Amino acid sequence: MQDELFSPTIREQPPPGKPPWRPESILYPAFFGGPLAAATLGVLNGRRLALPRPQLLAIAAAGLVAFGARLAVSATVDSASGVRLAGTIAGVLVWLVVLAFQRKPFRTFSYRGGDPARLVGPGFAAFLGCGALEAVLILVLVR
Amino acid sequence: MTGPSPVLARAQALLLAGRAEESLGELATLPAAEAVGLVAIQLRCAALAQLDRWPEVAEAARAGLGAAGPDPDLLRQLGRAEHALGRSEVAERALLDGLALAPQDVDLLCTYADVCAANGQVDKAAQLVARAAAVAPDAPVVYATRIQVAYAGGDDRTAQRISREFVAAYPENPAAHALLGSTSAVRGQVGPAYAGFRQAAAAMPTEQAFAESAMDLRIARHPLMLPLRPILRFGALKTWAVAVAAIFGLRAAGVPALSAVVAVLWLLFCVYSWVVPPLVRRWLRRNWR
Repeated sequence: MQDELFSPTIREQPPPGKPPWRPESILYPAFFGGPLAAATLGVLNGRRLALPRPQLLAIAAAGLVAFGARLAVSATVDSASGVRLAGTIAGVLVWLVVLAFQRKPFRTFSYRGGDPARLVGPGFAAFLGCGALEAVLILVLVR
Repeated sequence: MTGPSPVLARAQALLLAGRAEESLGELATLPAAEAVGLVAIQLRCAALAQLDRWPEVAEAARAGLGAAGPDPDLLRQLGRAEHALGRSEVAERALLDGLALAPQDVDLLCTYADVCAANGQVDKAAQLVARAAAVAPDAPVVYATRIQVAYAGGDDRTAQRISREFVAAYPENPAAHALLGSTSAVRGQVGPAYAGFRQAAAAMPTEQAFAESAMDLRIARHPLMLPLRPILRFGALKTWAVAVAAIFGLRAAGVPALSAVVAVLWLLFCVYSWVVPPLVRRWLRRNWR
């Protein structure tokens, strides 16, 4: 019986650790908190979803690049609302990167009947912590 | 699969009616010599599987394989059980052993597709179910597995379309209604989703999961949840894009006051969407139990 479809391909999964958050929900802290909040939650969630290391690094890199872009924009515009808008746009862009990597693994997780963890607490923490960190860095570095 | 013994026939009929507990009781009346027959063990495994008693399914299937030799149906039950117990690699081995005996077995192909999909191998799952569909395009298990594989691949629209076909082909089948319910729920269509699970629960009152899902959707249909429909229906991204476009569009159009009002309303909506659903859920569940 030589049939490629009937050759074993499944590797034992590591025992499930903490359940992941719904990747779509990271939009909220990303929108309000900015790129660092999105990247932090994205990397933490990526570890929960057991993403390969290059993908985790790509999310972290996207967060840093987006934050760099926000710094650059903040150095050129005067209005506070412009700085805020730049943070929101950068955060949403990082979230799109997170979503691109995590949508499929999360679907597999829910296919297996898993219930996602609640993002409310960590989401608020990331929004407050990373949002404040970005604000301080912008004040210190470019304003 | 009908055995010569009237006990086996009764056990099978009870099983088909979803009364697995009584079916097991019937099987327990068999004399020892008949209880280890292949059909008796197959029925016992199927009944235990219906009750989600997976450790016992694995045990019974292994014992049956030891006594009666390799059998595709017992290998499939062993595969399902090992998969349900989180040992997908062992499950795969059992299923491949079964497929080596019966490469055209629709149930085996579909079970293996399910295990592959649950391990993120959606393409392989799709090929397996396509092969099953070539053998028996109208088998309920083929419909169900095609729906599951489409869902696993993130293609919710196709999953819902096949569910509709499934219901059209088998209007009496509770699993078809439940699948139409859950694929509609995934697409945020609360009304059809509730209808699907209510029909499934009515057709099969012994299945607790159908009643639970119908309850969940009753919660989603609650008036307090009405403001959240756009997010359910169109997804977070599109809803947010519209809100953000409105906020910044109004500001760009020179009406910052209106833009600020929309922004505040949007913020309130976000808080509402986080706070209210858990409260409604808790409130309705308390009344239900």
